[in-house]
Amino acid sequence: MSVSELTPDDEKATAVADSAAPASKRDLNIVFWIFPAFFGVFGIVFVPLLRVIPPPRPDVGYAGMISFFEAHHTTIRIGLVLLCLAFGGAAVANGYVAYQMKRMTSGPVFAYVYMGGMAVGVLPGMLLVAVCFDAASMRLDRAPRVVGFLYDLGMLSFNGSLGCFSTAYLAFAIAILLDRNKIFPKWLAYLTIWQIVTELLATMMWVLPAGPFAWNGSMTFWLGTAIFAIWLNCQGLMLKKATDQQPAGTRPPE
Amino acid sequence: MTRPTIIRNSAQGSTRAITIAWIVLCALTIGTWSLAPAHSGVAAVASVSISVAVVVLGFIKGRLIIRYFMEVRTAPRWLRLAADGWLLVLWTAVLVIYLV
Amino acid sequence: MTESRSESAVLPDPPAAATAKAPHLPGDGAIWVMVLGDMIIFGAYFLIYMVHRAMTPEAFLAAQQHLNVTVGVINTLVLLTSSWFVVRGVCAARDGHPERAARLLCGAGACGLAFIAIKAYEWSTEISHGYTVHNGFFSFYYVLTGVHVFHVTLGLLILGLCVRELSVPARRRISFVEQGATYWHMVDLLWVVIFGLLYVMR
Repeated sequence: MSVSELTPDDEKATAVADSAAPASKRDLNIVFWIFPAFFGVFGIVFVPLLRVIPPPRPDVGYAGMISFFEAHHTTIRIGLVLLCLAFGGAAVANGYVAYQMKRMTSGPVFAYVYMGGMAVGVLPGMLLVAVCFDAASMRLDRAPRVVGFLYDLGMLSFNGSLGCFSTAYLAFAIAILLDRNKIFPKWLAYLTIWQIVTELLATMMWVLPAGPFAWNGSMTFWLGTAIFAIWLNCQGLMLKKATDQQPAGTRPPE
Repeated sequence: MTRPTIIRNSAQGSTRAITIAWIVLCALTIGTWSLAPAHSGVAAVASVSISVAVVVLGFIKGRLIIRYFMEVRTAPRWLRLAADGWLLVLWTAVLVIYLV
Repeated sequence: MTESRSESAVLPDPPAAATAKAPHLPGDGAIWVMVLGDMIIFGAYFLIYMVHRAMTPEAFLAAQQHLNVTVGVINTLVLLTSSWFVVRGVCAARDGHPERAARLLCGAGACGLAFIAIKAYEWSTEISHGYTVHNGFFSFYYVLTGVHVFHVTLGLLILGLCVRELSVPARRRISFVEQGATYWHMVDLLWVVIFGLLYVMR
């Protein structure tokens, strides 16, 4: 329907749509695909390259930590190069989820909480460990205590930055439960609550250096990562569904 | 939705069943009190028979809660199977890990 | 929770309860995703606990002796009673007595508060005796009961939402109350397992 054919009744309905929103969803689709692309790169960087997932042991001595960096210093630096190029994708992925959240009847405030929480979390939760590991790998002849410091600082910040993410997830879950537009399905809210529970468990990583509750423990790490992987895939799939179901030419309210 | 169908759920009957289930659950709980290790001044000893009893009682209590309180007894078949399946897998695994 | 409003404010949503021929799914599908998923995750926690117990059974048994079983039994009875209140509440709501249902749910909530208070007392006693997370068994104890008490707290919030639902004449969606009830019974169910594994098993 072109602008000239609009009747006065249509005016209000398309008022938002008319202000330069294109009638195709190409922009949404481009942005959506950055989400899986970024997380794909994230997986490659953090698993085989940086070796942060699965994590190196917390209960090794300085010699063990040094040998870790000696063994992996090449892949760690390749990982950093990739991460530096790609980590803007985190902002896009989180921003796009927030965009879809703005379409909910629960209002835009939860979207901003989500975006804020995730944005703050990414510094300790993603970048710091990468930088610490690269700094340690760059000069392998540092004093063992210094190497150990970088090792611990990196791993603790990666695992411990859960508060930011928990807040963001809480906003996401509540927004979905209150939403009457059904942008995301209710079961995704419940999965998100499980995510929050795993973050609660992860607080034990700060306290115990070994065993099932350490940063490499079965309870805190392995189970938590399994649930995270499931949750992330579900969020991505539902994000695609929300993108597909968004009527072309509309945009969320301001 | 516009035609409200009030199915008489034989309120008295189901309430009585719920209360009986609750009494049985409480009785089983109080019964297991004596089995626990944290009692006598003597050091506790591992006991296979007591642990097996724990597994069996845990299964029974769980099933009572699921079927009567959560109303899975009158739920669709997939849910009845899923709930029983969870109970079976959990307690069997616990028993196997304990015995092995 | 995203159900459309029923026009008849007092009458319950159909179908009110199951007959022998028509199975009834309490609540909606999504809450069962939550409940079954939570049960599976806790199941994994329980099995990991059992594996670690099997690695050092004597140490775990020695530590278990320091748990207060009487308190554990009382807590179990408290939660079972709270579940009884919840079931009665759902029945009352279905029979068209939302005020009585709300009072019964408040009774359940009171039991839930009692559970949390007793748990806090239990934890403080144990910590004052020096049993902290640095003990293998007690690390599991604090984590399992801690995550469980988080679920209880969430359950109290949900019960409160159900009471509010029943108190507002324009709402009173039975499905909403059923969802809350299902979640609460799951919390009770998980505690029964925790009690058996941590307090009694040897």
